[in-house]
Amino acid sequence: MMAVKPAALGEIPEVAERGGWRRAVLEFCRARPLGAIGAVVVLINILVGLGAHVIAPYDPLATDYGAMLARPSAGHWLGTDAFGRDVLSRIIYGSRTAMLVGFACAFLGATLGAVIGVTSAYFAGKVDLLIQRVMDIFLAFPLIILALAVVSILGTGIENVIMAITIPMIPRAALVARSSALAIREMPYVDAARAAGFSHRRIILRHMLPNVMAPYLIMLTAYLGQAILLEASLSFLGLGVAEPTPAWGLMLRGAAVQFAESAPWMAIFPGFAISLAVFAFNLFGDSLRDALDPRLRTQ
Amino acid sequence: MGKYIVKRLVLMIPTLLGVAVLIFFLMRVVPGDLVELRFAGESAFAQKENLDTERARLGLDQPLWKQFLVWIAGVVRLDFGKSMWTGAPIIEEIKLRFALSLQLAIMATIIAVLLAIPLGVLAALKQDTWVDYTVRIVSIAGLATPSFWLGIVFILGLLIVFKWLPPMVYTPFWVNPWQNMLQLIWPALAVGYRYSAVATRMTRSAMLEVLREDYIRTARAKGLWEQLILSRHALKNAMLPVLTVIALEFAFLMGGLVVTEQVFNLNGLGLLFVEAVAHRDYTLTQALVMLVAFVFIFVNFLVDLAYAWLDPRIRFR
Repeated sequence: MMAVKPAALGEIPEVAERGGWRRAVLEFCRARPLGAIGAVVVLINILVGLGAHVIAPYDPLATDYGAMLARPSAGHWLGTDAFGRDVLSRIIYGSRTAMLVGFACAFLGATLGAVIGVTSAYFAGKVDLLIQRVMDIFLAFPLIILALAVVSILGTGIENVIMAITIPMIPRAALVARSSALAIREMPYVDAARAAGFSHRRIILRHMLPNVMAPYLIMLTAYLGQAILLEASLSFLGLGVAEPTPAWGLMLRGAAVQFAESAPWMAIFPGFAISLAVFAFNLFGDSLRDALDPRLRTQ
Repeated sequence: MGKYIVKRLVLMIPTLLGVAVLIFFLMRVVPGDLVELRFAGESAFAQKENLDTERARLGLDQPLWKQFLVWIAGVVRLDFGKSMWTGAPIIEEIKLRFALSLQLAIMATIIAVLLAIPLGVLAALKQDTWVDYTVRIVSIAGLATPSFWLGIVFILGLLIVFKWLPPMVYTPFWVNPWQNMLQLIWPALAVGYRYSAVATRMTRSAMLEVLREDYIRTARAKGLWEQLILSRHALKNAMLPVLTVIALEFAFLMGGLVVTEQVFNLNGLGLLFVEAVAHRDYTLTQALVMLVAFVFIFVNFLVDLAYAWLDPRIRFR
């Protein structure tokens, strides 16, 4: 697990002015070419996922028993699997599954974590202590084991996998959000909001949450890659997305290992797809962190 | 220091108790129980009385709070009982697998440390040069590559290039060290790569932070030998956060290697955990979770202790 350092207070970059977005993007590309490459690959991945039905040369579920375990060729660029299904098409559709799980888990995990963390910091005292203890208990489980436990309760399938990956992420996100919110709580504007008689909910949601935006975005990008990796691991174990849904981890399971020697393309290409997607998210996330967190800028 | 240690040890108790409560009730929420699963395999005509006798034998007919108290009373005495599925004592079930997981975790740690510290220091010293970029890309790739897939690639490579497969049956180290190494070095490398990536990144950023400190400038101004500055002044101080990530990864390896173990056909704790959950083996799953949680909390405790020992400012706070 990569620990995400919270952003220093008062150094949250100003929101780009109207029309300044283009300049901000260009500036990011110029200053952080690696991050820009990552962003481009991420974008391609998203587009491939969205347009899978247009791009994929074959139906990912269509079996062709005449072409089982076929080598990569002009007809099947990346070969076929044990059921004669086109590997390239399944990878393209698999991107849809990976992006869906990745974005859903990272968004839910980081958001719920941030809300819990900020709430914990805002109330402080006994509430804070209690929330921290409960989070400690969840943190004592390795991520994958907690995910396994959730899957065995809820069963497999894409929604349950999303739940299983999101739940262990929440306490980790809460920890990070809490540590940045602790300093925000002491800010005069929070005092002012309290003096103005605003409700706790309003202060937490409207005044404090927006100010943990930098660590929130950093967590979000870091969790995207992790969620994709976890989904692949769960699916590989047969506890994630269920057949015949095209998913990268699932493609590495069973026949891919069994026929690895005679049909290595089945085991190689889906793994590349996972690595490339996660690599791009990490590359982008790292650069985003450097850009958003000036304290780490020179590192 | 003694007071600090005692305080930290006492604080472990409520967390472990919370884990115990959570896993105990989590297991009971999972639909289907062990008895149903076992009889479902045998015949479709399992009599209800048979199911009930089996449940009574395992103590599953008792009220939940009573089952919990019996179990927790055992845990406190370090008696985890017998596996509900195999009937063997849990300590016996776990012993050999624990040895395997521990050895693998130690090997992966050695690989990771050997790679991470030189690479991280090098990247920090050559910040923003091609060396730095290469190290960063290699380590980001390490974080992105699933260890289990890397394991498949290793096996495939050995098979295609050398026409050789690592042994698939586990030999304990004390029986035949060479055979044992031949088998475990591959998963250790597959896991070690990811592990080293985490540690390299931390070494790099910790070194960068330390290198900007005043005392490094002072040491340089004194005309100290650069190598001495790096090893004695910089690296030593940069090691604290690196130690933390290494320790936390180590704790994770002790039970989180579920998938890599599957690829290499290793009977470690991770695989045992998956089997235990699949069988709804309540006692075994609970014991494993308690073990893994204990390792994690204990490693965290050791890290804090190391911090307090290495950085006296923390001790006196």
